[in-house]
Amino acid sequence: MIDFVNYFINGALVGLLYALIAMGFVVIYRASKVFNFAQGELVVFGGFIVWWMVASLGLPLSIGLPLAFVAAALFGLLVERVFFSRLAGESVFAMVMVTIGLLILIRGLILVLFGPQVRSFPIIFPLQPVIIGEILIPRSLLIGGVITVIVGFGLSWFFNRTRAGLRMTAVAEDHQVALLMGISVKRSIAFAWILGAVLSTLGAVIFLSGKSLNFLASDIGLAALPVALLAGFEAIAGVLLAGLIVGIIQGLVTAYLDPIVGGAIGTVFPFIIMLLILFIRPTGMFGWKTIERV
Amino acid sequence: MTILKNIKIAGVAAALGLLTITASARAETTYNVASLADFTGPYADVMKDLIGARRPVIDWWNAEVGKKIGIKLGIKDYDHRYDAAQVASLWPGIKAELNPIIALGVGGPDVAALQGRLPTDKIPMVMSTAAYGFAWKPDPWIFNQRPTYSHEAAAFFEWLRQKRGGSGPLKVAIISSEASPAYVDQHKGVQRYAADNPGKVEVVEVVFTEVQPTDLTTQVNRVTRKGAEVIMIMTNTAAVVATKRALQSLGKNVPIVVSSHNGLAESGRAIGDIKQMEGDYEVYAMAAPTDAKTPGREFFEMLQSKYNLKAKWTVSAVQGLGQALIAMRAIEAAAKKVGADKVTGEAVREALMSTTISADETYKILGNTKFSNDGPFPTQGLVASIVTIKDGKYTEAAANVPVPSINKW
Repeated sequence: MIDFVNYFINGALVGLLYALIAMGFVVIYRASKVFNFAQGELVVFGGFIVWWMVASLGLPLSIGLPLAFVAAALFGLLVERVFFSRLAGESVFAMVMVTIGLLILIRGLILVLFGPQVRSFPIIFPLQPVIIGEILIPRSLLIGGVITVIVGFGLSWFFNRTRAGLRMTAVAEDHQVALLMGISVKRSIAFAWILGAVLSTLGAVIFLSGKSLNFLASDIGLAALPVALLAGFEAIAGVLLAGLIVGIIQGLVTAYLDPIVGGAIGTVFPFIIMLLILFIRPTGMFGWKTIERV
Repeated sequence: MTILKNIKIAGVAAALGLLTITASARAETTYNVASLADFTGPYADVMKDLIGARRPVIDWWNAEVGKKIGIKLGIKDYDHRYDAAQVASLWPGIKAELNPIIALGVGGPDVAALQGRLPTDKIPMVMSTAAYGFAWKPDPWIFNQRPTYSHEAAAFFEWLRQKRGGSGPLKVAIISSEASPAYVDQHKGVQRYAADNPGKVEVVEVVFTEVQPTDLTTQVNRVTRKGAEVIMIMTNTAAVVATKRALQSLGKNVPIVVSSHNGLAESGRAIGDIKQMEGDYEVYAMAAPTDAKTPGREFFEMLQSKYNLKAKWTVSAVQGLGQALIAMRAIEAAAKKVGADKVTGEAVREALMSTTISADETYKILGNTKFSNDGPFPTQGLVASIVTIKDGKYTEAAANVPVPSINKW
């Protein structure tokens, strides 16, 4: 029984990490209707910025981390200015193709700037797990989980209750209508990319604390994909629930089914669940249903 | 008159010199070697040393061996990102461009993509890695200088069990992954060995994980509760770091055994300090790149001073040296048999199968190497090196450890 509780809690916390990465997908999608294939690469780029500031330049965490977030925000803005500001009004397909190009570009950029070596990522959160009786909780995931919940509800409040957030929500609804209402679509999209890059860097900090880093860590983007799809691409707070579902299922399947099957079915299972739910509800659990008048 | 006479003599001498150069150039036949590489995939971090060791060996061979027997070798690198589809897609172009007489491979994707094709193309391939059970078939065209990873691990387990003493089996946990068929193959071979030798090794659990940074605290806690005395990780450095962090956070001290491609030095760098790998091991059936003055080390330093070798003295460099030397010795043997101007891929393969490449010919980087029709790797007289971190220093724990035989899996 105690094993089950351990797997359940760990699965939930890993799921919340996926949710944080998935928020990057959602924030960018809400403003630009673009599914960003390069989300995993943004996480790795953010991770490398943190590594560069803290481990390579030797800045103390209290200075290096905020600087890394500022650098990530600037990188997000740069990506938007160079690639997406020129594509306003173009087809979504064209924008999605650009994100695929961006994926290749960032990967190459990381190799050129930081090299292919596996780097030691700084220990941001203490390594010692929280032990309650026989329950063992990895501290970085626990702290990360709390941060994810705060960020999730904070962003949800921002998008639904503030003027700037509502402007972005209008942009997410329809670019043309938003423009007619006097809302700057370009500014909203730029802000979304800045937010996406910052969230990715936050994800990198939680995900990589005390671990190793090279360009292949971008696979986390793929792991977060079922969470974003399950929640629906417009639902910020919904991502938290979807993350918990995916993480818990994955944790339990990995613990109980992997040894029976003799393989890593736990990695595949979230995608199966995601497909099943999408068959029933293509917009995801909390995605917006669009009614089109003919 | 004297001036004119001198000019005439100089002219004749120049013409004779030119004729000699042309004749010797004509006598030298040029062949190509295809060098497969992973500069942008999961092993990009070790590729600089592995590929960096290959080319100077060929330059050395051209200058000191090829020149005498009338052969000049060219080499070209091809990046395939450790992707079998990319290998399959590149190969026809490599064949058309180079018409190689031998290929130097990187790992599992080369084997998976080319093992069916090379017999038709009549081009042998020499690998730097350990072999794979899935490619353990007779009539090989792909040759591994080392036995399978499972063989190497079994050699280590027997050595550790002896060191531990007692009569019970050594309890082993394996961190594996389904990201590559090679990883699955490694643990399946060990499971086979354990099933055939229940008194020697017991596999307590195979943990499947991603080959990216992850948290393994729960899994490592589980396997230590099951009494694991050693944890085998032959996937990549990310898995080693995750396991090490889990052991540190749990306060457990179970040794980890790794292989050449995710060795102690690389894993130590990835975790931040090699001292954190204190008491862990790496195992492979080739020489270890320690500080000792070995023939392999001297050969390496000679390449550094004379042939512009830029690689560092690492496990990957040793792999590259061994691989290139096996290929060169096979070409030499083929030239001796069929003549320098008639060397083909088929002749090189024939030479690999029929010649024993002595340890001295590889500067003791490898033992005596004799391939046979039974499989892609030497099956007899194999020995392994075991390295550990002792007092923060990369130290050889044991050399010439016998590699046991394992039934096919």
